[in-house]
Amino acid sequence: MDLFRKTLDPVIALAAIAVLDIFLFLLIGSWTVGGGETMMTGLIARGIMGDAIERIPFWNLVFVPDAGYWKIYISLGMFFGALVGAIASKEFYLRFPRRLSEWVMITIGGLLMGFGIRFAFVCNVSTFFGLTPEMNLGGYLAVIGILAGAWVGSLVYKKLLEG
Amino acid sequence: MSVVGECLVAFVFGSVVGLLVQRSRFCNTAALRDAMLFKSFRNTKALLIAMMILSVGFTLFMTFGQGHPMEFDVGINSIIGLFLFGLGMVLAGACTVSTWVKAAEGNVGAAWALLFTFVGMFLFSLVWSVSYWPPAPASMTGQPNLEALQFGQANAATLQKNLGIPAVVFGTIQALILFAIYRAIRRKEDAQQLKHDATVAAHATAAPAGKSGRAAAE
Repeated sequence: MDLFRKTLDPVIALAAIAVLDIFLFLLIGSWTVGGGETMMTGLIARGIMGDAIERIPFWNLVFVPDAGYWKIYISLGMFFGALVGAIASKEFYLRFPRRLSEWVMITIGGLLMGFGIRFAFVCNVSTFFGLTPEMNLGGYLAVIGILAGAWVGSLVYKKLLEG
Repeated sequence: MSVVGECLVAFVFGSVVGLLVQRSRFCNTAALRDAMLFKSFRNTKALLIAMMILSVGFTLFMTFGQGHPMEFDVGINSIIGLFLFGLGMVLAGACTVSTWVKAAEGNVGAAWALLFTFVGMFLFSLVWSVSYWPPAPASMTGQPNLEALQFGQANAATLQKNLGIPAVVFGTIQALILFAIYRAIRRKEDAQQLKHDATVAAHATAAPAGKSGRAAAE
């Protein structure tokens, strides 16, 4: 199939995703990722800590770990769909960051993403594919935040590339 | 819809999205970073097109009270949180979507970023359990709460309710603004292309005939 031989135009891919997102919005809610990941964090934490998690109020008051939370399955689906795409187009192979500085950047970046998502209650997906198209005030605030953050990040990134 | 039904729909949606993102190499991080750093707009244009379709689509259904818009109070935490997120995603080289997609391609760095996203969320849960800020969903009122730096809730549906103008009108205006940004980017790209062509042409005439002939063959 051509889909697995050539790179798809991202405009076509994103237009298709937008149409599907409208259907999802009508059925359950718009595309989002951070909520599912938080729930997974809670489930994993409960798996490791057991009932000790009850002593952290966040997991009682904000997110009560629940495997029946639909947002989890969007993330699992994305992993599955991408795995199928990568294998069918023979693009799957293990690759590792080479330098220690890359590992450090990825670790700090991951921590900041996780922390930021929960601080704002949204991730970049809900910002661009949910809140802003719904014209939610939070979407505009989040766009300001993410643009400023990406700008500062780009300066750091450039420094590291040149340094 | 039943819980199982919701999870199934979500899984099917996610699978199609994962496949499309993997095949198109779309990346939200690149959409912002490349535009700022390299003046390259491949992903930015795709993001804008999707947002135009969604702005009209969502507000059209919200006009008739359909769909499930997100409902929670927003505030200063929205800016701070996404600032940290934006900084993090550029450092990690991937956002929430591309960490999953790249991890599925065998990218161990992306899987590592995902692992630490989980760790970051868990750390936040500990911090929240001390600060209790931003407010938990149960204590949200939809009204501004300036003491907690919260502005309440406002979207296309509340605009329609308060102003009596259909939500889709606002959505269309937003889509037109996004289109204007898209057009400006296209113009910039055309200008870049012209400049590039002119440089190539100048090099071709400046170089000796034999060399330029070989360059053309290459």
